[in-house]
Amino acid sequence: MLKSLDPRVNRLNLPEQFEAPMASIEALDQFETYQAFVQLKEGKPFEHAGIVHAPNEEMAFLFAKEQYTRRGMICNALCVVKTESIMVSEITDNGQDVYDSFSGSFSEDDSASFEIFHLLKRGKQHKYIGNVKAKDFEDALLASKQLYPRTKPVYNVWVVRSEDILMSEPEDADLWNTLKEKQYREAIAYKAADKIKAFKEEQA
Amino acid sequence: MYGGGNVFETMKATALADEDPVKLAEFEARIDRGEKIEPTDWMPQLYRKQLIRMIEQHAHSEIIGALPEGTWITRAPGFKRKLALMAKVQDEVGHGQLLYSAAETLGKSREQMIQDLISGKSKYSNIFNYPAFTWADSCFISWLVDAGAIVNQVANSKGSYGPYCRALERICAEESFHLKYGHHCVIHLATGTKKQREMMQAAVNRWWAPMMHFFGPSDKISVHSEILMRWKVKMASNDECRQQFLDMYVPKIWELGLTIPDEKLKKNQETGQWEFTEPDWEEFKRVINGDGPCNKERLAVRRIAEERGRWVRQALLAPKSKYVTPLA
Ligand SMILES: [Fe+2]
Ligand SMILES: [Fe+2]
Ligand SMILES: [Fe+2]
Repeated sequence: MLKSLDPRVNRLNLPEQFEAPMASIEALDQFETYQAFVQLKEGKPFEHAGIVHAPNEEMAFLFAKEQYTRRGMICNALCVVKTESIMVSEITDNGQDVYDSFSGSFSEDDSASFEIFHLLKRGKQHKYIGNVKAKDFEDALLASKQLYPRTKPVYNVWVVRSEDILMSEPEDADLWNTLKEKQYREAIAYKAADKIKAFKEEQA
Repeated sequence: MYGGGNVFETMKATALADEDPVKLAEFEARIDRGEKIEPTDWMPQLYRKQLIRMIEQHAHSEIIGALPEGTWITRAPGFKRKLALMAKVQDEVGHGQLLYSAAETLGKSREQMIQDLISGKSKYSNIFNYPAFTWADSCFISWLVDAGAIVNQVANSKGSYGPYCRALERICAEESFHLKYGHHCVIHLATGTKKQREMMQAAVNRWWAPMMHFFGPSDKISVHSEILMRWKVKMASNDECRQQFLDMYVPKIWELGLTIPDEKLKKNQETGQWEFTEPDWEEFKRVINGDGPCNKERLAVRRIAEERGRWVRQALLAPKSKYVTPLA
């Protein structure tokens, strides 16, 4: 039996040596990936926060809440999208606007709704720009080019069908109201300068 | 690489010979301009490989690093310390998640990384192969091991790969809590009763050698890679990180009346560099290759969690779901 200083580990009754390497599985049990977006304050644009792995959209939402909004900021709203549902444009660099590479006319058909995200600086997060109505992803890009004039180059665009987004409801905002009670998660709760000063004086 | 002392693959001189010279020049120009590389950009195979390796090691270190501190949650003195330590350990596991995702954007799946950790193929920070004997050890880790990690992480957050930098920015913001919390714990013991002071001193004595190992072998003996520096994969040398750590924290340890178990440790006023007894790099190698006090236990705990949790993941897996490489 493997002996540990940790009583919890001892209770696992682990063998001193495993007899065989861990069985490998053919298909890795790898969950789908989702992209999470966070709105820090009311009226501010949603920003890409990061990735979560989850078996479904609702679990993705829950994991994203825990991973990206558990502290340190006032969160107003959160949404998740399956990675697969995001149409990604080409990526450009060095002041080159990616919209320059799309041109042409687009259909009058505006039966579907799309949400547009822009990358304005490499290394930063994609930011929400707005909604467009169009027929498909390609048209949504062209419509966005026309609808949202740019003062700065856009390096990369993400387009998502509005219906593919799982968004928190406005009344969910109090999900993030408990943060104030969790001061112990913040650096500011651990002031100790006085204690050091008193200790030094006592030593002197 | 929550520690330094990353294990990079040894590189062949021919590694770049097969790359498209035009694309390679564009890639290097982008880095020289200070622009970040994003997952869909063209990148040399070597860049991709070394980054996966580095970010993966960093992710494993967060997960394994949660074990010695996690040990102390239930036995932390008082309710407040328990809450705080639980929050810290949760953060560390969260850092693991952020980092696995960043590595994943380069094309290696998270599950594959976890398999490689358990099989011993991938490494993690050597310092977590040592046990936390007392509560004071846990305090040492929270303050000083995290302090060392911060030195590394701040340097790496200025690197060239976008997703890694973004993950590190989030991580560094949370680290400021870990650092303050850990310092608070150490101050409490060091300024407390005689018994408490002795406990804290004993922990410093136990952890000093692993702490010096933490940043990795001296630049004099480690395989120095100019290309990884040029591509901003490696942002600071092992010795630079170690010096920065000593500069920032030795005075803070001393001001608490604690001593450091190295008679040669002092700052050379002329060179501005810290001098110390050369760490035992044979011991470092021995432990990193599996022969440390806790290597077996750390991997066994991970393996059992993986094996026993497998049915849950299998049950949750939707048959039609398709894994897609995350975006950023
Ligand atoms: Fe961490
Ligand atoms: Fe840590
Ligand atoms: Fe930490």
